[in-house]
Amino acid sequence: MTENAPIDVTAKGGALAAAAAGRFDALPVYKPEIECAPREHIEAVQLAKLQETVAYAYERVPYYRAKMDEMGVGPADIQTLADVRKLPFTDKAVLRDTFPFGLFAVPLSEIRELHSSSGTTGKPVVVGYTDDDMAMWSECIARLVQMAGVVPGDVAQMAFGYGMFTGGFGLHYGLQRLGCAMIPAGSGNTERHIQMIEDYGTTVLVATPSYAMHICEVGEQMGYDWETSPLRVGLFGGEPCPPGLKAEIERRMHIVCTDNYGLTEVMGPGVSGECLAERYQQHIAEDHFLWEVVDPETGEPVGEGEVGELVLTPLCKQGIPVLRYCTHDLTAVHTGPCACGRTLARMDKVRSRSDDMLIIRGTNVFPSQIEDVLTGIEEVTPHYHIVVRTKNGMDELIVETELRPEAFSDSFETMDALRRRIAEKLKATLLVAPTVRLVEPGGIERAVGKAKHVDDQRAK
Amino acid sequence: MTVSQISVFANSRPGHMSRVLALFEEAGVSVRGFSAADTGEYGILRFVVDKPEEALAALQQAGCACTVTPVLCLRLDDVPGELSRVMGVLARVGINVVYSYSMISTYIVLSCTDAERARELLAEEPVEMISQADIARIVAERTGKEA
Repeated sequence: MTENAPIDVTAKGGALAAAAAGRFDALPVYKPEIECAPREHIEAVQLAKLQETVAYAYERVPYYRAKMDEMGVGPADIQTLADVRKLPFTDKAVLRDTFPFGLFAVPLSEIRELHSSSGTTGKPVVVGYTDDDMAMWSECIARLVQMAGVVPGDVAQMAFGYGMFTGGFGLHYGLQRLGCAMIPAGSGNTERHIQMIEDYGTTVLVATPSYAMHICEVGEQMGYDWETSPLRVGLFGGEPCPPGLKAEIERRMHIVCTDNYGLTEVMGPGVSGECLAERYQQHIAEDHFLWEVVDPETGEPVGEGEVGELVLTPLCKQGIPVLRYCTHDLTAVHTGPCACGRTLARMDKVRSRSDDMLIIRGTNVFPSQIEDVLTGIEEVTPHYHIVVRTKNGMDELIVETELRPEAFSDSFETMDALRRRIAEKLKATLLVAPTVRLVEPGGIERAVGKAKHVDDQRAK
Repeated sequence: MTVSQISVFANSRPGHMSRVLALFEEAGVSVRGFSAADTGEYGILRFVVDKPEEALAALQQAGCACTVTPVLCLRLDDVPGELSRVMGVLARVGINVVYSYSMISTYIVLSCTDAERARELLAEEPVEMISQADIARIVAERTGKEA
């Protein structure tokens, strides 16, 4: 391939070929004036927006005004980006305690859409987006899908569920914003997905990586030829994407796949996205999110490029102006230039957390929630063991719990009814339907010290 | 007149049934009939024993989930139509038999996860294995005798 030979990144295999040849000029950038701006410019934008955001939160959200007054800090104290450290942290408990609308900075009449994710106890975390928030969210998505070589005119098929989960609508709006045709197929019915790819000439698939793998396998079993398929790009999310799984999907489906990072509490998907130059990292939309990486124990910043907990402050978000949200995701952030041409900082893909949260079918699940539910069921002990595994491309949550001797009945019907009742109670709290297994009294290992409750068997 | 059946909750895993049997042995309890049914993950072991109180005490002592259920116990003559005759009595009045098993464990039936390996192992043991032909032959011989 000669230096300046044209590379068509909209042809199958084109984006990966361009990246392999170092021809990042052939790949699209949605908003180069910020994505490829000098660091000083990015930081100037961040500071102006941070000052605006803090003043807005102080003015409109009683929780933040009280918290900041208590700490003796006001909007005028934000003179540099480092001054963000004077502000209070926000964690999931704050969103839960102010449920449903306590942190909203605008009346519901200005909210266009509500989404939620599960909370650490029974109540979900609910977030609201104004028109401007929706525009900002769509733009973040448009940027990251272009990193994978998606262009206006692509036909994108959604294999996430829609509903309250932010993944489905987030990607939907962002792809439309870029100028793609959306096929809102939703999750499930794998054979129909493959039929639609063929019938409608789908070029982009949005899915969890494990479901994409399932679609790949079902297609192979049906005799579908992925090499001649119109499908060109896989956009993954909803769960961590193991590099090995991604490489396998790229090879077998003959597509290019990227994944992105985000969380409902600060927006949803699109906080950062993978480019084709640094495939273990993701560019943060820094003009919309101020990042910090802190020691999870002390809350103090770690050194440049060191691993710590990611703390995010969305900039100029109107519906809910969250300050310094503690993600509990462990990562390191790098600010050097990237071969793709972008200057936006890159975070390492999140592989672990500072707490024990699990992401199951895109939903956040805390082992403590499971313990709380089991404590309220008198037929079982609060001892439990969680197994998470992949079954037919979907996460499966198995909760093992111990039967109390006195709750035993010589009837399969009664025992099965108990099992179903426990599963229903867990589902009501977790928003994920588990499989419940009853275990003999004493059958769950009593771990010494920090109990090992979770066996996550999914590919890492 | 009923007998006291001992039911035990057990996970469907190797060693769980033999643990219960070891407890019986220690307590000097003799199993006169049993059934083990599973749902794939857990099962209910059911026993008719000579000393139900001792059996229950031993199980409870060991922390097992167990219970006593009164069940009917019948002795049938080993002639064609006997099982059908007894079940018919209950069927005619609309009584459902939830489960049933035969007692005095001289002939037992096992369904194992690795049937071939189990067969090889037991073939090495001083225990007689019965084939389908044996069953047919036993019945045929007796029918011949009666004829």
